[in-house]
Amino acid sequence: MTATCETTRSLLPEWVRRELEASEAGLIDAHLATCDDCSAESQLVQVLFAGRAVPPSGLAHSVREHIASRTRRGRQQRPWWGLAAAAVAAVALGIGVVAQADPTAVVPIYATESGSADAWMSDDGEIAGAPALDDLSEDELAALLDELTPAVSGGSA
Amino acid sequence: MTSRGADDESPDAELVARVRAGDDRAFGVLVDRHHAGVYRLALSMVSDVGTAQDVTQDAFLKAYSAIATFRGDAAFRSWLFTIAANEARGQLRRQGRRKESSIDSVQPVASEAASPEEEAIRSQESARARTALQLLPEKQRLSVSLRIDEGLSFREIGEVIGSSEGAARVNYFHGIRRLRELMS
Ligand SMILES: [Zn+2]
Repeated sequence: MTATCETTRSLLPEWVRRELEASEAGLIDAHLATCDDCSAESQLVQVLFAGRAVPPSGLAHSVREHIASRTRRGRQQRPWWGLAAAAVAAVALGIGVVAQADPTAVVPIYATESGSADAWMSDDGEIAGAPALDDLSEDELAALLDELTPAVSGGSA
Repeated sequence: MTSRGADDESPDAELVARVRAGDDRAFGVLVDRHHAGVYRLALSMVSDVGTAQDVTQDAFLKAYSAIATFRGDAAFRSWLFTIAANEARGQLRRQGRRKESSIDSVQPVASEAASPEEEAIRSQESARARTALQLLPEKQRLSVSLRIDEGLSFREIGEVIGSSEGAARVNYFHGIRRLRELMS
């Protein structure tokens, strides 16, 4: 028993990352042994994965330092979330407060934009890489996918 | 900001909840866990090591600052990667246009099992494949790199690149086919 071409190609990233259960990996291996086309694709996925970039050592540390240095000043005065919490507490207590705009405080610049998929397209609306795909229906996408992946199911030697 | 270290295996959602409760060290763990992926995403968009580092720093700063707005209906990683992609696009806009792909950005991972000769051949192949990847249109390139390098699902990739799950899938397989043509 082996996996189909379609299943194999869909799972090659998990296969190369060694994230599959042993039984599932075995089905993929068995298919690769009999299917030249999928085997060629698996080699591409392997060389791509092996060549993925490694971050410079110390990057995580410099990220933490960057955040600390950019938020320290705002925190000493009052972090924006502390301001919000204070405002909520004040309202709960029936106290009127006016939140002073603090130009040095860290503000959630992309707070709403970053959580939205629309943000991606709002910049210039046209992104390299077949933006027309986004206008296709699911059926049209499925038809296009069929053209890109082998139609034959099961092991084709 | 300090890190509690790689030994903290709490799920992202739990770490996010701790950050929101004021535990900055939990964000340090998220930095440790995701900085490599954010960096690779940035690098595949800006093609410059120094700029990719800047994008990584700013993406995490924005995620930290905006964590109160994270709704939790997407995975933290997709949300973070979306911020990073926006940040990289901002950098590209400021630079005017995308730089040509740089072979310098390719740093193949060494494998201990292979002989030096095998390793050299594999490194060359990897460098060729990564350079070819940089030639693909952006959505194909990101679909391939996020799927293979980071193991994102097509749904997550769609969230990051602003496409449907189906479009992300087509972009991935289209990219793989084009790479096979370029590498043959
Ligand atoms: Zn096959």
